[in-house]
Amino acid sequence: MQLIAATRWMPVPARYGAVLWLSFLLAAGATGFFFSIVDPDQLAPCLPFPMVSRLGAYTIGFLAFWLFASLSGVLAVAFTYPPPPAANE
Amino acid sequence: MNDLMPSGQVATPVPTIEQALYEKRQKIYPRQVHGRFATLRVIAVVGLLGIYYGLPWLRWQGQPVVLLDLPARKFHIFGLTLWPQDFLLLTLLLIGAALSLFLFTTLAGRLWCGYACPQTVWTEVFLWLERVIEGTRQQRMKLDQGPWNARKWRKKLAKQGLWIAFSLYTGFTFVAYFTPAPQLWTELAAFALGPWETFWFLFYSFATYGNAGFLREQVCKYMCPYARFQSAMFDADTLVISYDRARGEPRGSRRAGSDSRAHGLGDCINCTLCVHVCPTGIDIRDGLQYECIGCSSCVDVCDDVMDKMGYARGLVRYTTQHELDGQPRRIARPRALIYLALLIGVGGTFVSLLLTREPYAIDVIRDRNQLYREHGGLIENVYTLKVLNFDEPSQRFGLSAHGLENMSVDLRGHDIEVASGTVAPFVAVVRAPESALARTSSTITFTLAALRPGAPAVSTTATFLGPAP
Repeated sequence: MQLIAATRWMPVPARYGAVLWLSFLLAAGATGFFFSIVDPDQLAPCLPFPMVSRLGAYTIGFLAFWLFASLSGVLAVAFTYPPPPAANE
Repeated sequence: MNDLMPSGQVATPVPTIEQALYEKRQKIYPRQVHGRFATLRVIAVVGLLGIYYGLPWLRWQGQPVVLLDLPARKFHIFGLTLWPQDFLLLTLLLIGAALSLFLFTTLAGRLWCGYACPQTVWTEVFLWLERVIEGTRQQRMKLDQGPWNARKWRKKLAKQGLWIAFSLYTGFTFVAYFTPAPQLWTELAAFALGPWETFWFLFYSFATYGNAGFLREQVCKYMCPYARFQSAMFDADTLVISYDRARGEPRGSRRAGSDSRAHGLGDCINCTLCVHVCPTGIDIRDGLQYECIGCSSCVDVCDDVMDKMGYARGLVRYTTQHELDGQPRRIARPRALIYLALLIGVGGTFVSLLLTREPYAIDVIRDRNQLYREHGGLIENVYTLKVLNFDEPSQRFGLSAHGLENMSVDLRGHDIEVASGTVAPFVAVVRAPESALARTSSTITFTLAALRPGAPAVSTTATFLGPAP
């Protein structure tokens, strides 16, 4: 009981808030790294959807990085925090 | 949980540990401070915000001084143009910035947090706007506790209006680092801002509003990664803000001018002003706490009280653990010297790379369709050259090849001219007499130089194929 309580110290919104925030930082770094190597204009012919401007590609890339990093974080949090103990325990 | 229990049963108490570790946030009303360090911070805030809001508008010889032209994939920084190929330079710059933060943290603790962090700087402005509209700490607390009457509505709306306007201008400035500011202003005024620019404009405005207006000290306490790992850089010689327990305790109120020692009291008069001014809402007298951002508001306010009481200043002061323990202060210590050495190394590499940076580059690909051709006693190889011009104006280049006797380069009548910031392909036919070839595969060198005086030469190697001798 004590152990479970100690790992559940953070309220749920704060946990997922932390995931969103850290994913944001990671996405910023990943976007910078990725687009300094890849020019979206040269990537455009290989893509199955219509071309957007470079600024648009950077933005979409950033949001995609953010989404995937968040998904990973959300799953990690969901797997790390055990379900609440049953009431009759 | 208690509601679900059948009546008559006693509910298991919720583990208190959950509440003890994560308490609900109490709104903090920092009192305004005057003093040496408050003045220093105002200077830092005005200086840094001046740079932030001013730089995008600054032009030099018709060019923006700083423009991170993401749509064109080039950064203009103080007359220097950086391309994606200069990734290493930018990386070194960031590593250098991180190392200098480490060095400063080791030497001076959270100096960055207290004076230069954007979170501190923008919060300071938001607090100032709040003070202008809602008044002093007491007035703000009273207003928040009072009923929602016309006066409260007016004050709250005025404050929010100022905050939002300031945030929007901050967001606009952020985008102006990526699109020239005058152009962006014209677009904004005509409601013709592009969709992506609008997105970032609103995103950054919202972030400013949320962080500086609403989250404030919670950013430092719960969100800042630097705050989490900085303890790794602290040692007993790091400058921290500390309460001099030996001198202050036992604390207690007394009449001004009375002899505290006679009452058995220390120098702390327990006025709690140090708590009132703290932007993170801690009591510095409880010792070093991770929430302390080193803003030194408590130092200023306590010095003021000490002056009024006629005591010596510095009951709360910048000091080190060693100094409080009565040991000498050490500045040059292994940790600091290692950070300094790394910083010098990275800085040196950056400068030397910058100085030896080639303004253009050449890349050679052999024609894969045929190995070689014989033509009147000459062996012919065909190559595709890719010439990159990082220089500002468009350039014309001269090409030569070395490595074999009596060899020649034929560009099929074309000039090598490359516009600024572009890559252009050219076909080069290299011929050499069969007698010059010692083996089937020889290495040759292409050398490229701009056709202007003093232009540097760049080289690359390629393979030249021929028949077996």
